[in-house]
Amino acid sequence: MKKLKMHLERCTGCMRCELECMAEHSSSKSYMRASLSKPLPKTRIFVESMLERSVPVVCRHCKEPLCVSACMTGCMQKDSKTGVVSNMGHEQQCVGCWMCIMACPYGVINTSTDVVGIKGNVFSQALKCDLCPDRENPACLEGCPNEVIELVDIKENI
Amino acid sequence: MKYLIIGGSAAGMQAAEELRKKDKKSEITLISKEKDYPYSRCLLSRYVDKRMSINNFYFKTDHFFKDKNIKAVLGKEVIEIKRQEKKVICDDLKEFSYDKLLIATGSTPWMPDIDGINLAGVYTFHSLDDAKKIKESIKNARKAVVLGAGFIGLEAAYALSKNNIDVTVIEKGSQLLPKQIDLSASKIIQADLEELKIKIIFDESLSSINGEGRIDSVTLMNNSLMQCDMLIIAIGVRPNVFLAKKAGLETDRGIIVDEFFRTSDKDIYAAGDVIEINDIATGKRDLSATWFNAVLHGKYAAGNMAGYRKRYTGAVGIQNAVQFHRIPVISFGKTLLEGDDEYKDYEVITILKGNVYKKLIIKANRIVGMIFVNDINKSGFYAALIRNSVDISMYKDRILDSDFSYAYFKDNNFGEYNTYFKTDECWERPDWWAHRLHCQMG
Repeated sequence: MKKLKMHLERCTGCMRCELECMAEHSSSKSYMRASLSKPLPKTRIFVESMLERSVPVVCRHCKEPLCVSACMTGCMQKDSKTGVVSNMGHEQQCVGCWMCIMACPYGVINTSTDVVGIKGNVFSQALKCDLCPDRENPACLEGCPNEVIELVDIKENI
Repeated sequence: MKYLIIGGSAAGMQAAEELRKKDKKSEITLISKEKDYPYSRCLLSRYVDKRMSINNFYFKTDHFFKDKNIKAVLGKEVIEIKRQEKKVICDDLKEFSYDKLLIATGSTPWMPDIDGINLAGVYTFHSLDDAKKIKESIKNARKAVVLGAGFIGLEAAYALSKNNIDVTVIEKGSQLLPKQIDLSASKIIQADLEELKIKIIFDESLSSINGEGRIDSVTLMNNSLMQCDMLIIAIGVRPNVFLAKKAGLETDRGIIVDEFFRTSDKDIYAAGDVIEINDIATGKRDLSATWFNAVLHGKYAAGNMAGYRKRYTGAVGIQNAVQFHRIPVISFGKTLLEGDDEYKDYEVITILKGNVYKKLIIKANRIVGMIFVNDINKSGFYAALIRNSVDISMYKDRILDSDFSYAYFKDNNFGEYNTYFKTDECWERPDWWAHRLHCQMG
């Protein structure tokens, strides 16, 4: 399956990947427009700092994903074909119970508390990397000016 | 090989799925006493306050049994396990034989021994049936009492208050969620719930439930009378060990299993709320009634049943995430210190800033417990440090800083795929900038 892999020594911590991620996962596909509407754009890739160096941390679509085990609605699933772990687009719906956030060892699941439903009610949802299913390459990879992120194809028995 | 699973909730369903993954040919049968298609118990409060429709309750797809070729027997209760003949008997005297059996019978709510407990209008909040009954009766209810301020009690209180019912929560202890969080966290959540006009009474209990045929009031221990139209009992759950006890398996409060989830009979495994397991955070053998644990138990038990011997390590009994109204709370591992002698070895690091509260309990340079209130991002990372007993002595001074993250442990992959290409040695050196040309070229 496809996974993201990082060349840390190239990362300057510009956080462009976070912006690209937020834009890609908004309905307008533009960060500026999304930041003026609801739900507020939230990133799914995290540029963390460690001893003055920057380290992008992103979901690794685990083989034995703890977030999937923790999910009580069953919406967090590992796709049996692509291997992508995601909580969107399944018949069960994310209710924002935050069990996956408690389970993820890498701390790469974000919270969104202002998602507006069909009936106009506001609810919470967990947000995580879905490897941008609508695009050939994930947005963070394409946006990175220093080619830190690489998409590698590894063999994994799902 | 014939696999038989008793119980169709978190542990049972996960075990069935895992068994089918590991063993494509064998016959798998799942017996559940609930007649409904397996649903998620944790979502019941969302059914009562109409945040969720009933179609969204099912945590597996509705063609799960068909897809996985699993025989499901719903609405039947197993009444006896015959270990010699390797079969189980159901309440309609139908028999099922097995080669490997998994007991995942879960738990039932504790009912206190007080007068009037059988009156109409007294409910537990544990199954879809309960939720349906409660939803039916809230139409003409105005005042409700919830006994117990645990997760189920508070979820119920929240759901009822959303239906414009006057709710009073009565708790025996002196704080909310007494098993999971501490007093400071409890105060934050209490303020959050009181915004919804939920009243909470601490250090109090019921002495009797009054009414003729139907509840009309409850009497508290201090003899005060409280009018109410319904009462929800949520003072905890008790593992369903009846079957295992009758079969002569080793039990204490729950069924005793080894780290392969095997009971004292080598062909019978147990998983979920019904077992007792050694908790690495507290070092004691304890019950655990959480969804996440049940799923993990089911997964490992199934793997071991199918012959892949895999030891279950890093069991943590308390792992909860919840958001009642506005404030999310996460508690993990040993969150409470009890007894004076224990204080000596433990170190506690806390941050309390307005509604944000974070607390870590550290023993011998390893985190053993945490409570996160309101700012829960990255809490899973701390949980992983607890689960894997990672030494944090180097980072103690910055461990609750907002920029402390997984980046500091980037070489520890917790058994999963490594997302980083190998870096040059100079990358981590404090004088990296002197070598930056070389470093950044890779």
